[in-house]
Amino acid sequence: MDKRTVMKMTLEWENPPYVPWNINFTIPAKEKLQSHYPDQDLEEVVQNHIVNVGYDIYFYNDIGNDCVQDCFGVVWDRSIDRDIGVVTDQLLKEPTLKGYAFPDPLAPYVFAEVANQLKKYGDRFHLFGIGFSLYERAWAMRGLQTLMMDFYDNPQFVHDLLNSIADYNIAQINEILKYDIDAVMFGDDWGQQRRLQMGPKLWHEFIYPVLKRMYGVVVEAGKKVFIHSCGDVDELFDDLVGIGLSCFNPFQPEVMDVSALIRNYRHRLAFYGGLSTQKTLPYGSVMDVRRETRNLLELGKTGGYIFSPAHDVPKDVPLENILAFIEEVQQQPGFINPG
Amino acid sequence: MLSYYPNGSHIQNMADLEVIMLEILRSLFNAILEGDQLAAAIHVQAAIDAGIDPAEILNQGMVAAMAEVGRLFEKGEYYVPEMLIAARAMQASMVLLKPKLLQNEVSSSGKVVIGTVKGDLHDIGKNLVAQMLEGAGFEICYLGTDVSPEKFVEAIRSEKGCLVALSALLTTTMPSMKNIIDAITGAGLRQDVKIMVGGAPVTEAFAQQIGADGYAPDASRAVTNARLLLA
Repeated sequence: MDKRTVMKMTLEWENPPYVPWNINFTIPAKEKLQSHYPDQDLEEVVQNHIVNVGYDIYFYNDIGNDCVQDCFGVVWDRSIDRDIGVVTDQLLKEPTLKGYAFPDPLAPYVFAEVANQLKKYGDRFHLFGIGFSLYERAWAMRGLQTLMMDFYDNPQFVHDLLNSIADYNIAQINEILKYDIDAVMFGDDWGQQRRLQMGPKLWHEFIYPVLKRMYGVVVEAGKKVFIHSCGDVDELFDDLVGIGLSCFNPFQPEVMDVSALIRNYRHRLAFYGGLSTQKTLPYGSVMDVRRETRNLLELGKTGGYIFSPAHDVPKDVPLENILAFIEEVQQQPGFINPG
Repeated sequence: MLSYYPNGSHIQNMADLEVIMLEILRSLFNAILEGDQLAAAIHVQAAIDAGIDPAEILNQGMVAAMAEVGRLFEKGEYYVPEMLIAARAMQASMVLLKPKLLQNEVSSSGKVVIGTVKGDLHDIGKNLVAQMLEGAGFEICYLGTDVSPEKFVEAIRSEKGCLVALSALLTTTMPSMKNIIDAITGAGLRQDVKIMVGGAPVTEAFAQQIGADGYAPDASRAVTNARLLLA
């Protein structure tokens, strides 16, 4: 049985032979793992179950001084955070889209590697990820504090901006649906450590209607909707399931009750993530990591759960902890390691 | 000093005058609470023109409003957008009131030196804390983001008795907080300051472990703890 089938069974609560996993790494953590396996392809080592033929942030050009400029025109300083970076400028200085041209959603670079990747990792679950997909893309262009105040100062502009971003995304989704993909994943952080950043009132007014439009395109095509949203966002789950959400990531145990949620949302919402990257992985012992991993695998053994650290593995996770959770997932009965 | 009713007739009754002054302060309070910076500026100017004591304008009209903002945030009724527009309205009021406060030698609640630690570029959480502290009457020294231990030491050398507020959003940058505390200690300044830490991955246990004086899980409680630490 290939990994793609195991994933599909998991998403339908069909008692998969084992709990599938997908593990992503920050650049420094990946380098740490690679140094342990100097002559091996880490894809063969980790045996991930998802191939993401989309993108985490945007497509960008290196403009020097550790900065990159993405296809929307936003400049990111990657001198410290090499994976995402920090926005250095305010692309939309006024609350208007007049004079701004969105990039071409169907630019060749978006789809250039899709066919190759799907062919290379054909046995995995095929996912198209759109990073910084809506609210994050809006604040990257406008400035986070400014956009937050725009909800009150310039509401129509916010509606226009979010809908224009959605139009961009939907054009890409319609194109990617021509390929053999299983799901679209929308990355968009709405949470804080406690509660939403913008609160439920503004989320429902500004973000929810646009999500409904975007998710609708995916659902109508018979594909699954995944989301990534960091922070305390579980108050939104019922609304999101109602508009087609199938799987939630990153599932941070510090901000939500992972055991209760896996149980309570059985047959309605699957979860992907769950292993603590704020506490257990950086500060826990190897036994702590093994214990938490085993607990998660036990919770997900009948389906509805994809194992992963609750975020891309950060650089402060000891190598032995990384090796521990990889070993635990690969030792599951039912998984035959091709490596 | 205000001497006319809104209808133009002379105010002859001290009690009426007090009511009008209270009404002005209440309008200022509401303008800040609702994030209406234009109204806040109008009402703070009206309060100044009415001869209300600047300290009273600050405490009854502005600090009280930001305290209510904090209460509503803790209660889950206000979120980051509401806090930001309220803070902006408060800052617009402060621009007009500050000369009067200086003139009347009204002292602040204390001085806070605040920054995001070395290696961390996140700033909205730290900015919210700073704005709430300013709204509570503290004087803020903004150090920005990616702030080295040396820069913190330099900033507090002349600010004995200040509160040092450290922010970190990542587990990978939290260790910088200990480095900063060690640098302050090494410079012989530890006993002269109080140190408070915060940020998404930071916990009370971590704060105690590194020798901080306090920990705040959010901007509202940062104000409460700042008052306690500098009392």
